[in-house]
Amino acid sequence: MSFTSCFKGIKRARPPEPTGPVVLKPPEKVFLPLRQHRGQTCEPVVEVGQDVAMGQVVGSSDEFESAAVLASVSGRVEGLVEMPDPSGQLIPTLIIANDGQDTWQDPPQAVVTSAEEVTAKRPTRLLKPIRQAGLVRAAIQGLPLHVDLSPPMAPRSYLFMTGMPVTRQVDTLVVKAVDPDPPICPNHACLKLGGPELEIGILALARIAGATEVIVVHPAGAELGEMAEMAKNHLWNLSAVSPTKYPFTTDNLLIHHLTGREVPTPYGEPRDVGVVIEPLQTALEVGTLLLGGRPSLERVFSVAGDVANPQTFRVRLGTPVSQVLAAAGGPTAGVAKAVLGGPMMGYAHYDLDTPVTKETEGLFIQCDSNLVHYEDHPCIHCGRCVRACPVNLIPSELGKLCEFKHFDKAMEMDLFHCIECGVCAYVCPARRPMVHLLRHGKTELLAGRMEE
Amino acid sequence: MNHNLLTVSSSPHILGSMTVRSMHLELMVALLPALLTGVYFFGLPAAITVAIAVVAAVAAEWAACKIAKLPNRIDDLHSLTMGLMMGLVLPPGAPWWLPLIGSVLAVVLGKMIFGGLGAYPMNPVIIAWAALSISWPEQMNAFLAPVPIGSGGEWETATTFLMDLKDDVGLVMDPELGPLWWGNTPGAIGATGAWALIVGGLYLVIRGIVPWQIPLGTLLGAAAMALLASYIDPGVIEVELEGFAAHLDVVWLHLGTGGLMIAAFFLAPEPVSSPVTPWGMIIYGLGIGLMAVIVRFWGTMVDGVFYGVLLMNAVTPLLDRIRPRVLGKVMSSA
Repeated sequence: MSFTSCFKGIKRARPPEPTGPVVLKPPEKVFLPLRQHRGQTCEPVVEVGQDVAMGQVVGSSDEFESAAVLASVSGRVEGLVEMPDPSGQLIPTLIIANDGQDTWQDPPQAVVTSAEEVTAKRPTRLLKPIRQAGLVRAAIQGLPLHVDLSPPMAPRSYLFMTGMPVTRQVDTLVVKAVDPDPPICPNHACLKLGGPELEIGILALARIAGATEVIVVHPAGAELGEMAEMAKNHLWNLSAVSPTKYPFTTDNLLIHHLTGREVPTPYGEPRDVGVVIEPLQTALEVGTLLLGGRPSLERVFSVAGDVANPQTFRVRLGTPVSQVLAAAGGPTAGVAKAVLGGPMMGYAHYDLDTPVTKETEGLFIQCDSNLVHYEDHPCIHCGRCVRACPVNLIPSELGKLCEFKHFDKAMEMDLFHCIECGVCAYVCPARRPMVHLLRHGKTELLAGRMEE
Repeated sequence: MNHNLLTVSSSPHILGSMTVRSMHLELMVALLPALLTGVYFFGLPAAITVAIAVVAAVAAEWAACKIAKLPNRIDDLHSLTMGLMMGLVLPPGAPWWLPLIGSVLAVVLGKMIFGGLGAYPMNPVIIAWAALSISWPEQMNAFLAPVPIGSGGEWETATTFLMDLKDDVGLVMDPELGPLWWGNTPGAIGATGAWALIVGGLYLVIRGIVPWQIPLGTLLGAAAMALLASYIDPGVIEVELEGFAAHLDVVWLHLGTGGLMIAAFFLAPEPVSSPVTPWGMIIYGLGIGLMAVIVRFWGTMVDGVFYGVLLMNAVTPLLDRIRPRVLGKVMSSA
C-alpha cells in the first residue's frame, strides 16, 4: 500500500473469523429470476406445469452477454411471475415447487480429473462447460463468467475507435479470498472449503484467462488451511491485506495495490490493464463443475448485522432470503432495513422474499435502534471526505454541485470516477447523504445523454 | 408476501460516530488546557472575559436566527465554540463590552450574514478580532502581567514580549524560553500557553478533526521564516548571535509567542474557511507561518499571524483548485 493511501479510507471493526459455510436445507419453493447477471434477460424454455430436474436449463438466451438459468431443485414449474430481484427491479421469475427428490438431469461428466490435466486441456474446452452451466461471477453486477474470462479481445466499442480490435493480453489472475464489504464475507468463508476443487478451479481460471501469474489475496491473519500448501506447489503468490481498511478490498483498488496498475474508470475494466480478478467462490464453482461434472446450484451467502447467529450458509439458488434469515436465528428485533450486500455498499431492499441469486453475497439486517438517519445539514467544508476518498475526489464539492443541479460542472470535476464506496458519507460530520447526491448527479447526466 | 414495511435508502447504511455537535464538543475539550492555563495565570479577569464572550456568542446566534426566521441550530455548539475562541484571543481584563462586541461581530458579521455554518468565507473569530483591534487598539493592547492563582499579586498592566521585541530587537539574545512556552508572560488569555495549545491541538490531529497538514505547514513556515530572518534582519545582525543554537533560539521564541500556536492548531484549521486538498492545506499553512513572522520582523503591527490567517482564508478558493490526481483517470479512460 502506498504511503498516501495509509491516510485514505476508513478503519472498520475487524469482522469475526467466519466459520465454514453451513449447508441450508433446500426450500419448498425456489424463485429463479431469469436474469441473475449483468446483461440480457433470458427467455423461459420450460412450460408452467412441466416437471424439471436439477441442473436442467429453464431459461436461456442467444445473446453472448447472458448466462443460462438452471433449475436448482427438482420438481414442477408452478408459475412465471414478475418479482423484484435483489437489485429491486421487476424480473420475470420462475417458481419451482420442490419435490424433495433432488434428482439430477444428467449423470456427472467430469471434464478433468487431476490438476495436470487442466494445463493440458485447450482453454476453449474448459470454457464451454462454464458457459453451458451458466456460471456468473459471484459479485454484485457480476458478468457471466464466460464473458468475464473469454476472448482477450476487446468486446467493447470504445477500444474500436481506431477501427482495429485491440487484443488485451492478460498476464495476472487475482483470486480474492477477501470481501469488499465485511461483515458480509462469503469469499473468506470459502477459504474453509478448500479441497481439490479449489486447486483445479484456480488453475482453470488461470488457464482460460491466459494468466501466467496468480495472486491469491487473503485477509491478514486468516487461517489459510490447504491454500498455503497449494500456493507453494503451484508458485502462486499469497498476499495478505488488512480486512479492516475499507474500501481497499474492492476490485480496482486491490489491483492498484497488488500490481500498481490503475484500472481506467468509469468505462474500463480490469482486463484493460491485463488483470482478471475473480472471487474465491467463483474459482470454487469452476472447480466443482470441472472436477465433479455438475454445476454448482448453491451460493455461499452470509447473514450478518442484527441477527441472533450471524453465519455463512450454502444456499440453493432461488431460496427467499427470509428463509435464510430464519435459519440464522431471525432478527434480534423488528427488521427495519434489509440490505442485500454489505452495510457500506449494499442495496436496501423493500421485500424480504427476494430470492438468493448468483449475484447476491449476503444479507445485512438492521433493526430500528441501529438505523442511521441522514440530515439536511449544509456542507461545513471540513474536508474529512476529501481526506478519506480512496480515489482522490473532492466529494464535498461534488455533493454541493449535484445538490444544486450543476451536473455538467460536477462531471468536469470527475463525478463519474466515483466508485460509490460510501466513505464520504461515513465520515461526514454533517451527515449529508453523499452517495445519494452523487448517484443523483450521475443518473441525471446519463438520462440527459439518453435524450440526446 | 411479507408486508412489513422496510426502510430503503441509498448506501451506506452505517455512519461514523462524528457529528457537527460532537466535533465542536471535542474542539472545546481540546481548548480546555489553554483555557485553564489562561485562568491560572490571569485569574478572575480572564474567566470573566471568556464567560462574557461565550454567553454573547450564543445569545447573538439565537437572536440572529430569530430575526432572520432561520431554524435554530444552537445545539450544534458552533457558536459556543466560537465564543470560547473569541474570549481566548482577547486580553485578560478587557472592559466588559469588548468581548461582548467581539462575539456579536463574530456571529452576526462573520457567520450569520453569509448564511451560517458552512457558508462564510473567512474565520469569523478573526474577523471580529481584526475589527476590535482596529477600532479599539488601546483596550486590545492592554495586557496584564501574569499572577498565578494563589501567589496573591496585584494586577498590573504590562506589555507582551512581542511588543518589547518591536522596541528592542536585542531581546533575541538569550531569551527566557521557559515562561514564554508555559504561558507565564503577558498576552491574550488563550494564546500564551504554547504547551497547553500543543496538547489540545495534537488531540485534535489524532482524532482526525484537524488535518495534520495545516498546523505542520504553519509551524514549518514560521520556523523557516524566523530562521531566515535571524540571518538577514539588520537589527538581529547587529546583535551578533553566535552559533546556530542562538539562531535556533530565535525560532523557538517565535513559535512560542503571540498567537502562533492558537492560530496553527485552532484558528487556521477552522473547517469552513480552510482548504480541503492536501497540498492546498500545506501551502495555506506555510503562508500563514511566513506572514506571521514577516509582520513580526518588518511590519508595523505587533503580530501578523491573525492577519495571515485572514489573508490565506481569502486565498482558500484558489488553493482548493490544487487537486490530487484522480485514481483511474488515465489516458484510455477519456
